[in-house]
Amino acid sequence: MRSKLIVAVAALVLAACQTTQGTHQIYPPASGPQAEPLPPPPAQPEPKPLEAPAVVEPPAPPLASFPKSAEQISGSAVTALMKQARQYRSAGQPDRAAGVLERALRIEPRNYFVWSALGQAYLAQKNYLQAESVAQKSNALARGNVYVAVENWKTIAAARDARGDAIGALQASAQVEALQAQLSAAPGTP
Amino acid sequence: MAVSFRSVKIVAISALVLLLSIGGVFFAGYLIKLDREIRDRFAGARWALPAQVYAAPQELYVGLPLNARDLVHELSRLGYREDAELGMTGTYSAGAQRVDLYARAFSFWDGPQPAQKLSVTFSGDIVSAVTDASSGEARDIVRLDPMLIGSIYPKQGEDRVLVRLADLPPLLPKGLVAVEDHDFYSHSGVSLKAILRASVANLRAGHVVQGGSTITQQLIKNFFLNSRQTWNRKFNEAFMALLLESHYSKDEILEAYLNEVHVGQDGNRAVHGFGLGAQFYFNKPLNELRPHEIALLVGIVKGPSYYNPRRNPKRATERRNLVLGVFRDEGLISDADYQQYVQMPLGVVGGRGGGVERYPAFVQLVRRQLEADYKEEDLTNEGLRIFTTLDPRAQEALETRVLEQLPLIEKMRKIKPGLLEAAGAITSADRGEVLALVGGRDVRFPGFNRALDSRRSIGSLAKPFVYLTALQQPDQYNLETVLEDEPIELKLPGAALWAPKNYDRQLHGPQHLYMALAQSYNLPTVRLGLALGPDAVLKTMRAAGYQGEAKALPSIFLGALDASPLQVAQMYGTIASGGFQARPSAIREVQTKEGQPLQRFPLEVKQTIAEGPVYLLTWAMQKVMTLGTGRAAYTQLSPDVVVAGKSGTTDDYRDAWFAGFGADRVTVIWVGRDDNQSTGLSGSSGALPIWSRVMKDLHVRSIEPIPPGSVEEILIDPDSGLRADEHCYNAVTVPYLRGSGPQDWAPCAAQAEQGPLQWLKDIFGH
Repeated sequence: MRSKLIVAVAALVLAACQTTQGTHQIYPPASGPQAEPLPPPPAQPEPKPLEAPAVVEPPAPPLASFPKSAEQISGSAVTALMKQARQYRSAGQPDRAAGVLERALRIEPRNYFVWSALGQAYLAQKNYLQAESVAQKSNALARGNVYVAVENWKTIAAARDARGDAIGALQASAQVEALQAQLSAAPGTP
Repeated sequence: MAVSFRSVKIVAISALVLLLSIGGVFFAGYLIKLDREIRDRFAGARWALPAQVYAAPQELYVGLPLNARDLVHELSRLGYREDAELGMTGTYSAGAQRVDLYARAFSFWDGPQPAQKLSVTFSGDIVSAVTDASSGEARDIVRLDPMLIGSIYPKQGEDRVLVRLADLPPLLPKGLVAVEDHDFYSHSGVSLKAILRASVANLRAGHVVQGGSTITQQLIKNFFLNSRQTWNRKFNEAFMALLLESHYSKDEILEAYLNEVHVGQDGNRAVHGFGLGAQFYFNKPLNELRPHEIALLVGIVKGPSYYNPRRNPKRATERRNLVLGVFRDEGLISDADYQQYVQMPLGVVGGRGGGVERYPAFVQLVRRQLEADYKEEDLTNEGLRIFTTLDPRAQEALETRVLEQLPLIEKMRKIKPGLLEAAGAITSADRGEVLALVGGRDVRFPGFNRALDSRRSIGSLAKPFVYLTALQQPDQYNLETVLEDEPIELKLPGAALWAPKNYDRQLHGPQHLYMALAQSYNLPTVRLGLALGPDAVLKTMRAAGYQGEAKALPSIFLGALDASPLQVAQMYGTIASGGFQARPSAIREVQTKEGQPLQRFPLEVKQTIAEGPVYLLTWAMQKVMTLGTGRAAYTQLSPDVVVAGKSGTTDDYRDAWFAGFGADRVTVIWVGRDDNQSTGLSGSSGALPIWSRVMKDLHVRSIEPIPPGSVEEILIDPDSGLRADEHCYNAVTVPYLRGSGPQDWAPCAAQAEQGPLQWLKDIFGH
């Protein structure tokens, strides 16, 4: 009875580790109906992959593990430049803001917060095509960071709307809503 | 008789008066004309000011990968000199882990940065602190003044950098007057005393040894007249000098002279004015010149060619010391200073080009990109300040490695020395900024720019686009798809039979898709391309940025299409940045000559290829570097730096290419002959040695192995191509587009007997 409960709990835990595609497992299931649940990792000689150790598709990382603000992933130089860019933005000088953000990108070329802010600066400059492209670039680099993605989709929705692409704007807005729902459903987020 | 004599006399006098009057009218007219010319010339746009082109500034911030030696190298490139006192801007004092410097003021596009004393501390190869040396306050980020790398001067070749009298070291105007025109402040444009003195000297010598021209006359000569010594010209010159003096102050005339005078020649380019002269000879701004350097510049005025310090250093030194003597006699410097300065070396930098026109290939690209937005005369006349993307460190690495490796390759391959040519480009992957450009082996020669203008067959550099086309069809192809390496013959309408071969003329048996690319096998590539269709492959190339005229024929699979190294850099940049294409850009901003922002060239990117397939291709291109034709790169690069690339070799070994990237730098190298004959070099033997050393010098960042959301990584058994687990000894992790990976388990896997989750079903007894 007790062992059956453990089995059931373990099965649920394992099931939770599955991704939506459901093709990967953390541990290989043991053979036979009487097998112990959660067998210890095999004691055989380690397989020798040619590449880095096998990265089995991880479950979607919890939201809390994503950096929420640029400061969390930026060096002091980029943080200072982003601050300067914000000042230019609020002073109604988006072109200067964009110039400063490009300077930041030369230092940290894959900092998706900077790309995201650049998209907003382009939006303020009414350069809608680049606003969307740059926001997409940020999304690509953000690798699922919902906090950044929601801002980028807002930029994309506004850019499409301004360009007269009503359907595209709706689709982008739907993305924003979905991401916001994800954020508010997540435990521990404000 | 008397009457008639008298009437004749009257007629004669009348005629004379008439003639004189007419002459006077003409003379007055002549003077008025001269006067107008002078005012127009002097008051109007006085000089056509060529646009000045600057490199990207060196940024200084905590965490920057730079050591003290690198910084000192950077500072000396900018003409900073060592001075423990930091007595003036443009000086530094270096220790092993700390460099103090007095940075020059500079008007950047986004605002001026004042001159400031900075202290930069290092921890090994990383900047650990940047502080204001006066207050001790930490600074987040500061820029050094950028290097002036060239100018865009008009066809007649006058180049100059404007200076104001107030900004000059006082010794310069005083010294110049003392040497060239002692009575400048007292004469009225023409000095009879000077003319007499010169005549006596010339009579004594029997030929012209001395000119009696005042500074005003010399200015007129430079402004309006050619240098032919005719009486007519002398006459004009004297009158114009007098007129000029009547309109303008002595200081205005002197300032004009300082900016106008010819001080040197660099090929077709005439160096005018002391501002550019200081850059041209000493690689620093005029206000940082020391007395012996000022003396040399003042001395050169007498004959820029005769006293050329680069060609005739002995003559130039004698002339400089003579000028220093005048400075001493006039009380401008002390005798002790004089004794010290005459011992100093000339201090002239560089050889040909002399520190100003250092990067002709790059400046040519800048010029072309500007011509799309600016009229020719705006560029040559308006004194625009052009801020470019050139990274002097990357440029130095590229030039150094090209110049170092070509002779070695020639020697090793017994190729006639000097026969090989090369070109290269380095861009930033995510932004498409052109960081360095080499247009040929003579890197200072502004001739044929192979990096921009050569159109050579790209050979196997085309292959990644064949494979990328395949990987965009996940239901058909993945990295583990097996391709046949079998002979193929193709008969196209109107063309000879095409029977491509592998470079080694061997057959290697069935190959995994990624391995066929890694080993650059032709036959599997052609088979794959034919299955995809040349139209689809060409479309992928265009999505990556190819703009040429190639037709959609099977020969493009093996690179029978032409491109320049910079175009290849653009195509590979699209791969390096995950499918986002960026136009190669050499310009960041343009300022007016007053330092006002005029135009910014914003970053432009566009996603043209989906990220997932690009990620898979990049994975295969990493295998080129670890298992395939690029593996020699790791004799230079550290094994933990992940880079991706592809070699390119064309028919009969006419072109050797290597193109590839790390996380943020795309580098393309071409080596070949200008006459398009065979060199016997492959991409791996001809271009890779340069490429890998450049990447090492750049400290290229490692590609991050983080797959996008559309990609899943699956452990597979390479023998069967099926899913593996820990029971499979040679399992490898391979990225697949989501849902396109194998579903079945390999025989070696424990799950082989059952389907997934079978054991769970068993437990619950279904």
